[in-house]
Amino acid sequence: MAEPMGFFTDTTVCIGCKACEVACKSWNQLPARAGGDPAMSGQSYDNTLRLSGNTWRHVKFVEQFDRPYEGRWLMLSDVCKHCVQAGCLEVCPTGAIIRTEFDTVVIQSDVCNGCRACIGACPFGVIDINEVSGTAQKCTLCYDRMSVGLEPACSKACPTDSIQFGPIEELRKRAHARVEQLQAAGETRARLYGADPAGPLGGLNAFFLLVDDPEVYGLPPDPALPSRNLSSSAAASTAAAVVAGAVGLVTLRHNRMKDVSEAEAPHRDTEDSSPDGSK
Amino acid sequence: MGSNMAECHPVAFRWPMKAKLNGAKLIHVDPRFTRTSAMCDIHAPIRAGSDIAFLGGLINYVINSERWSSDPFFKEYVANYTNAATLINPSYKDTEDLDGVFSGLMQYTEHPEWPYNAFLGQYDPATWQYAATQIGDQGRVANTAQSGEQRVPSGQQGQARAGQQSTPGAAGAASAGTTNMGPPFDALVKSLLKPAPRTDPTLRDPHCVFQILKRHYARYTPEVVEQITGCPRQKFIQVADTLLANSGRDRTSAFAYAVAWTQHTIGVQIIGAAALLQLLLGNFGRPGGGIMALRGHAAIQGSTDVPTLYHSIHGYMPHPTALKKHDTLRDYLTAETLPTSYWANMPKFLVSYLKSMYGAAATPENDFGYDWHPKILGDHSHMATMAAMDDGRVHGMICIGQNPATSLNGPAQRRAMRKLDWLVVKDNWLTETATQWHSAPEIKDGDVKIEDIKTEIFFFPSTQVAEYEGSFTNTQRMLQWHHKAADPPGHCRTDTWFYYQLGKRLKQAYAESTLPRDEGWKNLVWNYDPDPAKGRSEQSTSGDADELELLKEINGFYTDDPNRHLAGFGELKDDGSTTCASWIYCGCFPAFGRNLTAQREPDPPGAPGAQLRWGYAWPANRRVLYNRASADPAGNPWSERKRWVWWDPAATNPPNAQTGAATPNGKWIGYDVPDFTVTKAPDAKPKPGGVGLDALSGTDPFIMKGDGKGWLFVPTGLVDGPLPTHYEPAESPVENLLYPKQQVSPVFKYWARNKEYNQLAKVGDARYPHVITTYRLTEHYLAGGMSRWLPWLTELQPELFIELGHALANEKGIRNLDMVKISTPRASIHARALVTDRIGVMTIAGKLIHHVGMPWHWGWEGLSTGDVVNDMTAWVGDPNVSIHEGKAFLCNVEKA
Amino acid sequence: MPDTFFTEPPHWRWLIVLYFFVGGIAGGCFFLAALLHLVGRPTDRGLVRLGYYIAFVGVVVSGILLIVDLGRPERFWHMVIQSKTGRPMLKYWAPMSVGVWGLLVFGVCTFLAALGGLYEAGRVRWGIAGPLVRRPISTVIAIVGGIAGFFLAGYTGVLLSVTNRPIWADSSWLGALYLMSAASSAAALLILLARRRRVIDAVTLGGLERFDRYVLVLELLTLIVFLASLGSAARVFLSAWGVVLLLIVVAGILVPLVIASERFGRFRGRLLTPYTAAGLVLLGGFMLRVATIFPSEQVKVVGTRVLHP
Ligand SMILES: Nc1nc2c(c(=O)[nH]1)N[C@H]1C(S)=C(S)[C@@H](COP(=O)(O)OP(=O)(O)OC[C@H]3O[C@@H](n4cnc5c(=O)[nH]c(N)nc54)[C@H](O)[C@@H]3O)O[C@H]1N2
Ligand SMILES: Nc1nc2c(c(=O)[nH]1)N[C@H]1C(S)=C(S)[C@@H](COP(=O)(O)OP(=O)(O)OC[C@H]3O[C@@H](n4cnc5c(=O)[nH]c(N)nc54)[C@H](O)[C@@H]3O)O[C@H]1N2
Ligand code: SF4
Ligand code: SF4
Ligand code: SF4
Ligand code: SF4
Ligand code: SF4
Ligand SMILES: [Mo]
Repeated sequence: MAEPMGFFTDTTVCIGCKACEVACKSWNQLPARAGGDPAMSGQSYDNTLRLSGNTWRHVKFVEQFDRPYEGRWLMLSDVCKHCVQAGCLEVCPTGAIIRTEFDTVVIQSDVCNGCRACIGACPFGVIDINEVSGTAQKCTLCYDRMSVGLEPACSKACPTDSIQFGPIEELRKRAHARVEQLQAAGETRARLYGADPAGPLGGLNAFFLLVDDPEVYGLPPDPALPSRNLSSSAAASTAAAVVAGAVGLVTLRHNRMKDVSEAEAPHRDTEDSSPDGSK
Repeated sequence: MGSNMAECHPVAFRWPMKAKLNGAKLIHVDPRFTRTSAMCDIHAPIRAGSDIAFLGGLINYVINSERWSSDPFFKEYVANYTNAATLINPSYKDTEDLDGVFSGLMQYTEHPEWPYNAFLGQYDPATWQYAATQIGDQGRVANTAQSGEQRVPSGQQGQARAGQQSTPGAAGAASAGTTNMGPPFDALVKSLLKPAPRTDPTLRDPHCVFQILKRHYARYTPEVVEQITGCPRQKFIQVADTLLANSGRDRTSAFAYAVAWTQHTIGVQIIGAAALLQLLLGNFGRPGGGIMALRGHAAIQGSTDVPTLYHSIHGYMPHPTALKKHDTLRDYLTAETLPTSYWANMPKFLVSYLKSMYGAAATPENDFGYDWHPKILGDHSHMATMAAMDDGRVHGMICIGQNPATSLNGPAQRRAMRKLDWLVVKDNWLTETATQWHSAPEIKDGDVKIEDIKTEIFFFPSTQVAEYEGSFTNTQRMLQWHHKAADPPGHCRTDTWFYYQLGKRLKQAYAESTLPRDEGWKNLVWNYDPDPAKGRSEQSTSGDADELELLKEINGFYTDDPNRHLAGFGELKDDGSTTCASWIYCGCFPAFGRNLTAQREPDPPGAPGAQLRWGYAWPANRRVLYNRASADPAGNPWSERKRWVWWDPAATNPPNAQTGAATPNGKWIGYDVPDFTVTKAPDAKPKPGGVGLDALSGTDPFIMKGDGKGWLFVPTGLVDGPLPTHYEPAESPVENLLYPKQQVSPVFKYWARNKEYNQLAKVGDARYPHVITTYRLTEHYLAGGMSRWLPWLTELQPELFIELGHALANEKGIRNLDMVKISTPRASIHARALVTDRIGVMTIAGKLIHHVGMPWHWGWEGLSTGDVVNDMTAWVGDPNVSIHEGKAFLCNVEKA
Repeated sequence: MPDTFFTEPPHWRWLIVLYFFVGGIAGGCFFLAALLHLVGRPTDRGLVRLGYYIAFVGVVVSGILLIVDLGRPERFWHMVIQSKTGRPMLKYWAPMSVGVWGLLVFGVCTFLAALGGLYEAGRVRWGIAGPLVRRPISTVIAIVGGIAGFFLAGYTGVLLSVTNRPIWADSSWLGALYLMSAASSAAALLILLARRRRVIDAVTLGGLERFDRYVLVLELLTLIVFLASLGSAARVFLSAWGVVLLLIVVAGILVPLVIASERFGRFRGRLLTPYTAAGLVLLGGFMLRVATIFPSEQVKVVGTRVLHP
């Protein structure tokens, strides 16, 4: 495998211009929603609202104000995190989702059959069905561009370098330095999200610098793999099956049934007006 | 301040973001908390239209501050490089003396030939002049009013006909002059010389500029700033302290502004106030300093350099006008040449320009065809022309790259356009301007019947920039060549094709004419066909002009050898031996095969970053103008950190090319191209009787100014006063706190003032209680022609909205996303409410004022449609440059 | 806010609810039929066959529902065979993958069992079907199919739990719950249909009813455990869905239990017949899936705001 590649998104220099969104749609030829004229959302300047099968970048806007003019306006360009341990990849029953030589996670559109298991499995709500292809789609980290040595379209278009593309190791170093700088400047809420290889999901190959709790940005504080529930859930179900089986055995076994039927039959016949199908 | 840079100039905003990572402090002063504010350390909210109060407050705060008085840097810079020490005519009276007006205010009478200059009043600026002399501002025509619209001597020699008598002497002699005064025109220029201004280097004389401005701004205290602008005092002081702390020897601060400063009845003065402040802080001519005009359309800078402006010809030379004494070439040169400063070379610029217009037909005998050149007769700017159109005085209009049906006062302009005989629209889409005859609101409402419109409208589909090659000039005056990426679809043609072909046909039409007025057409040089000898073949659409031929024409060449391009404007001559359309661009194309605008070599990382091999910045590829000021008077860098251009006393120079005489050692060198006579020593004195740069000393960095100084006080050139003064916008909810007797600028432009469609709300009109401003969104572009047809953009901002605060929303029972009705005395429109804390209620002079704002990109065509915000604005504008006041007016907001 | 609230719903709606319900019943019916086949009396043969038929029809319907629900139905086979290599496609850690194989195995068993049933009932006379009703093949089919049946009934819940969605992934008890509910629903359906078609005698009927009763009690217990295990994710039920859930408990579990209980025999009447009871159990089983799937589907992040019912 080549060196792991990915994104470091420094939200403190994101100007919410959405160039990344447009660049992604343009490069990947993804259609606009509602023919380009959807309803306005009323949620700040965010009219995209979510990542989906035909929106692989989504710039989020958080207005934090106590009083008029007194507050912050946070922006974050959201994208697939290319998790080192990826929930989507884990559950995909067709093998459509693969890990590439760049340690990125890509859905092969010609393999996916649209079962949507990956949608609910992603801890970040990244994937959705693309109505045109009928398959699940998400950011490919511009696998096509990367394969020929080009930078992904979104980071290339980002005017402020809020989205930085590069080898993960290098990006992590840069990110830590930036957090230190912010901390030193008094922004004590500055932190990295997903930069820790020992952290959740083995780290994210698209990680973020935040200046508030992840929830504020609509990100899960402690994302986890869906398989965390597999053994417990399977065990509980098996136990239930065993219990139900036992009940069945107890209630339906030939001998036992006869005993009981003798005790109950008369009572039943008088009370029940139904046309009994016995013999 | 004065722009929403992150949203409107996102790519340029890369650099503030880089600076932020380097620890720079960013400040945003804006009525709204925008995406720019979100990136800044400080956001100071101010009411739209109150910038001069804020900047005046900063000026007052700065000159009274401990730091400014104690750090010798400021005094040294101000005393040497600005006109702080210059004495002003003792009869000058300030607004502080005259209740809000300057000395010289008088009535304005319209010119009967063209009654669209629209000034409310006018000034005779005689008393604003430097004591005992007159310093001209000729040649610098950002100012439309300099076309002679005001028939008073505005301080320029031979300004207007009516005021001719006020400047007798040398100028009079020259204009009466004999034909043997040129070419060459050296004698003429020399005859224009004036005595040098008088100064008081101690800055104590009560008539010196510094004392005048100190008095002028004394009442602009933080308390007053808070009362007028609504910006909390502590915020204001925080801004002032940050600015002070970041100016000086070792640090510089920059201002970036755009149309939040220009679109006012006092727009030029707002910018002037910032310039004044930056001069006081020593922030001009230095890296990281200055005030940056963030320009609008992609090549709007280019369109003023090689102008589409009515009042200037290429390179900021005034357009010959019927309103001034411009009868002959000599008259024109006499009136417009500034004998001191680099502008003394104007005869060379103009003659080379005329050669470019009329080629071989232009000879010294016929004044190089000067008489064939058209003249203007008043304000032909956008709104003036529209007002004239409404009066039936304009018959046809070619509308290229503009969408006036929505982009200024909509109903008034559509009404005017309905009076045209013909209208040509050349655009990428059927814009509102092209479809107004059947889909405008007044037609849908039945107020106007289609049958009653006699205008014939022609539509020409246009190419997009990526479909042809050419150059852009960006906001840094930098020309950048762009290449063709795709073929245009269908019958789309470039704009050059259209004009080139139109020109050819008109030339043909006039070819047989014997009328003297058509001589110009007959002699016009109009051949820009591609030259196969240079390997240039026809473009995809045949019949188009060749871009490189056009660039060559602009750059200039030797008349007798058109293949020898001019290497720079230093080579220009006033005898016809050089041909050059635009002197400022001279040097960008020094030889065929050396198109410097196509350079794309960035500086290596870590270099100081002048990027001299990226594109080509006029003049002479200089990146920072007036960069002599980046060194102290002795020629040393102010500090190591801020080193840019400096004097190297040891450098040897080649001998004088003409005389062969040895040149003394010493040279200006640096990272940038020095904006100074390279061999002029810092201690050089003006040459007695010297013209041009010889009249300036080694410490006069502002080489385009007659006195080589940065002007704190503007003695000439502006029609609304020498010092920026706070006036309220044409529509305001409050009285002018500083000048209760003078609510608004006494001289601003107000067109169609007696027409019903252009009425203004009175001060404090209860029917229109809220302050409204208009602006742009990153997601859209202007009138929408370049965004509302593009689904990837419309989905990002699909609907027109109004931003309003929670207080107003609660008061009116408006919830987020409700439809609301917004009204002004001109019109009412509908939009969705976006309720937010990013805009809101302000306390102005003790009154609670709701501030609202709207993006103005919508119209009825395209994928995303909405009401036209400009249906609500008025035709009022700045008296200097005729731009409309789209940034501050009054409205009412109700739930629809 | 639980982490699961920051994810996207997979749009598993009516088709999937129906599949879960039908699949559960199919599994449960087969299991009960197999049990009767193995330990029941000769008189239960009609019932056994009925169970097998139901299971077969159920599995066919399930398959169709599943395929129709796919974004690209023509690619359903990609779940079984790797489309690019032609090798078998199985991920034992991915419930959907295992589920598809389980369904396949179950489908084969139900097919064989149903075919055998038809042969046994004399509806088909193909010789090859003969061995299907004879030991040991019939036993193998019953055992494998019975296990696969219960697997099918329960894996659906595991499938939901092995996601990152609210409710589903917030508890490990959904599989158990679905299994219990599948069992009770299957018994109820068998009771209903067997009575109509007179393929059940009072003894077996009594056994089935008792089975149903016990399982209903177990289901209720599992539901309580499930709800308790949800933790803060249970806030989803602080909505109309809470009422639905309560109705399910009352109408789908408690009322049938009451009807079935001898002590409360006096409540039986014209309306509250065992038919009603069985019908209510079925309805309850269906609604239980609705009430555990839809509320989760309704949680999503819009912009940066988490919306929930
Ligand atoms: N995306 C995008 N970029 C553009 C354009 C576009 O349409 N879309 N247009 C281009 C053009 S032609 C131009 S001219 C430039 C314009 O660039 P800008 O001048 O930056 O753009 P505006 O949005 O008109 O106004 C900027 C800000 O002025 C604030 N404002 C309003 N009134 C006042 C005031 O009185 N004082 C102060 N200090 N602020 C005030 C508004 O709240 C707004 O945030 O942008 C260019 N760039
Ligand atoms: N209320 C209010 N009004 C304003 C402003 C404001 O801030 N507030 N801003 C003002 C400012 S700064 C400006 S610049 C004006 C802009 O106002 P306009 O110039 O009238 O509006 P644009 O949308 O820029 O019009 C440009 C047109 O050119 C077309 N076009 C693009 N490329 C080409 C080309 O290569 N050739 C040709 N022929 N056409 C092309 C586009 O499709 C578009 O229709 O609006 C002004 N109006
Ligand atoms: S963020 Fe979601 S879609 Fe992206 S790799 Fe991780 S689990 Fe998969
Ligand atoms: S929808 Fe496609 S990518 Fe997602 S899990 Fe199913 S097959 Fe895999
Ligand atoms: S990396 Fe490519 S696919 Fe992913 S968001 Fe960026 S542009 Fe879109
Ligand atoms: S392009 Fe960059 S700055 Fe613009 S919204 Fe995207 S991440 Fe933010
Ligand atoms: S739209 Fe064009 S000119 Fe404006 S910021 Fe973007 S790239 Fe620059
Ligand atoms: Mo503009």
